[in-house]
Amino acid sequence: MKKYKMCMIPAYPLENVQLLKDRVILPYVCYRLFGESFSIVTQSTGDYPYLSYLEGADFIPLPKDRSHMESAVSYVSAHSQDIDLLFLFGARGEYMELARTYKSLRPDGVIYLKLDTNIDWANAYPLHDKNFSVFLEDCDIISCEIRRLQSFLYKKWLRPVEYIPNGVYYPLYPEAGDVQLANKENMILTVGRLGTAQKNSMMLLYAYALAFPSLKEPWELVMAGSVTPEFQADYDRFCREFPPLAPHIHLTGNISDKQTLYQYYKKAKIFALTSRAEGSPNVFPEAAIFGCTVITTGVDAAPDMTDSGRVGRISPDPEDVKGFSRELLSLCQDSDYLARNFHEIRTYMQSYFDYERLAGRLQVLVELQALKRRQS
Amino acid sequence: MKIATTDTCVFLEENGQVFTLLEKPTLPDYSNVTKRPYFSFYYSEGETIWERLSGSMAKFEDLCHDDPYLGCYALILSCLYPLLLSDNRAKNLAAYGAGTDCMAYRVIQDFMTFLHAGSALTALALSPFSLTAISPCSCAALLYRLDTCPAPAAVCDAINRIKPGGLLFLYTIKETVPPELAALCTHAQKDSFGPCTLYTLTADEAVMDFARENGSESFVLARASEITRRADDLRYLIQGILTGAALPDDAYFIAVTILQQTEELLLSLYDYLENDELPVHANALKEAVLNYDVEVRRSCGLTVYREKLTQISEMFFAAVEQEFLA
Repeated sequence: MKKYKMCMIPAYPLENVQLLKDRVILPYVCYRLFGESFSIVTQSTGDYPYLSYLEGADFIPLPKDRSHMESAVSYVSAHSQDIDLLFLFGARGEYMELARTYKSLRPDGVIYLKLDTNIDWANAYPLHDKNFSVFLEDCDIISCEIRRLQSFLYKKWLRPVEYIPNGVYYPLYPEAGDVQLANKENMILTVGRLGTAQKNSMMLLYAYALAFPSLKEPWELVMAGSVTPEFQADYDRFCREFPPLAPHIHLTGNISDKQTLYQYYKKAKIFALTSRAEGSPNVFPEAAIFGCTVITTGVDAAPDMTDSGRVGRISPDPEDVKGFSRELLSLCQDSDYLARNFHEIRTYMQSYFDYERLAGRLQVLVELQALKRRQS
Repeated sequence: MKIATTDTCVFLEENGQVFTLLEKPTLPDYSNVTKRPYFSFYYSEGETIWERLSGSMAKFEDLCHDDPYLGCYALILSCLYPLLLSDNRAKNLAAYGAGTDCMAYRVIQDFMTFLHAGSALTALALSPFSLTAISPCSCAALLYRLDTCPAPAAVCDAINRIKPGGLLFLYTIKETVPPELAALCTHAQKDSFGPCTLYTLTADEAVMDFARENGSESFVLARASEITRRADDLRYLIQGILTGAALPDDAYFIAVTILQQTEELLLSLYDYLENDELPVHANALKEAVLNYDVEVRRSCGLTVYREKLTQISEMFFAAVEQEFLA
């Protein structure tokens, strides 16, 4: 099959941490599998130490004398011949001119749009806007990260929308290969920007507090990530109100060193996600490949993350502290399930969330589209 | 554009140009037709058909003066006029493309009711389904705004609702008609003035044959047969893949190509499908084939893809059978 010159352009200037998230990693894995070259084109927002993980990728900083997208459009105008496959991230209005420009210069080129969507977005796309409809038509392959939204958008837009979940690129996680069940501890882990309205972090504290008296063995709650001042104050008050729990709850603060974070994944038996609304969180596959059993609220991707409850638990209502607590307690007390699921969830991840597999699928889809473009 | 009427003539005017829409027919007893019971229902005294027609044209002016289709409405009414007066039977007309609250349609309805209380002009909702909701061969005429829905299948569906010998009025303010309809329009009488053009097609045998061949029913049947043919090819390929039969090297690519085409075919029939999940099922099968292909290429020893492919393909073929063959 053909090797493609690939280019990824974000809708907004890229930050270092985003280099290892789906918007860059999936295109990068495609490059490793069937790419001739791969460029990340963005206005710079600072240093990019994570580029060291992306061997072979070219980082092309856009000039800052104009807006990010104006610069991107000029770049594409000047370099369309160097782009056979253009990766876009998010069905955003900002991309409309870029996509049109690329298609007018390279009708034989392929645009792949990864939607990065959730149910709110899925219902809010401005389909009445003709330019937006043209933008969707310009995108040869569109994928959605969440199975039930894929089906929804497929029928709403009446065009093929592929299911490509947010996955993992295993070579970035060599530690996940040697994780041992025996090294796991009674630890409940959550990772995220603690205290934001979206993450609903207080719910986890209260759910843990409700479960705590019934726990037969001690369980630690580790909350990793940056902390808002409001959450810090709430946490301090919580510890004053429930002194016996305080020693068991740990706020790590922001963890920029991936290895440190992986140590937590390695130790945790349970990964908890209490978000109010979320598409497909990147932390989920990371936790899962380390054998953490996931308990989550009913975020859009909850059925995908847990194989509809087989390899994890779903407590649908993000405001139902008691319900979440019940599920958490039952998980903590079911050591057989946790042991079994340590293997099950990792096999499930390997089967459906491995970016190398997903890129293999994309390769054929891209080839099909390229063939179609050449024929027309 | 303006509509002007005199005692004997109705015409359109624009930029000094004049187009005669209609001249008052010289029937010997024409001024007395209101004496007939059909026509005396509303206006028992005085008003003749000609006067009423002139009044209707004036109403177009009043109610639709900002409407770019004003000239089309006047052209339509002038061409309808002979049909409406052709006999004393009530007329069933339908109109598609201007929505249900088009003032011009109300004016035409008013004129039709004046001639015969039982006549009706039904303004259809803006969905091609509204055309297929009408009984075949039931309309004396159908008014069709081409600019709203230029799809040949919809135009043919409209023709299929017209009685043999009835009229289809295709009106447009665009300069050209879609190329797929050009051949059909050669059968029509064309009247145009300014930006407004009216094609009047008589539903004769040739026109009705064309409509039958190109209407949504035959479109659906043709697509359905393409889908079942592809499903048969797929069944053969997937069975071969699952049983390890000798297949061409690009068997997976062929299967995925067929599935991609099947998705497109199913989407083109989407509004007619009983099972609206079918295209999504086709997509899921494409995903399963691709996953299996990747597994074969990588040989990781995972059996889940084979099970999934078996399960999803069985589900898809059963759904296709249920939809198209049951």
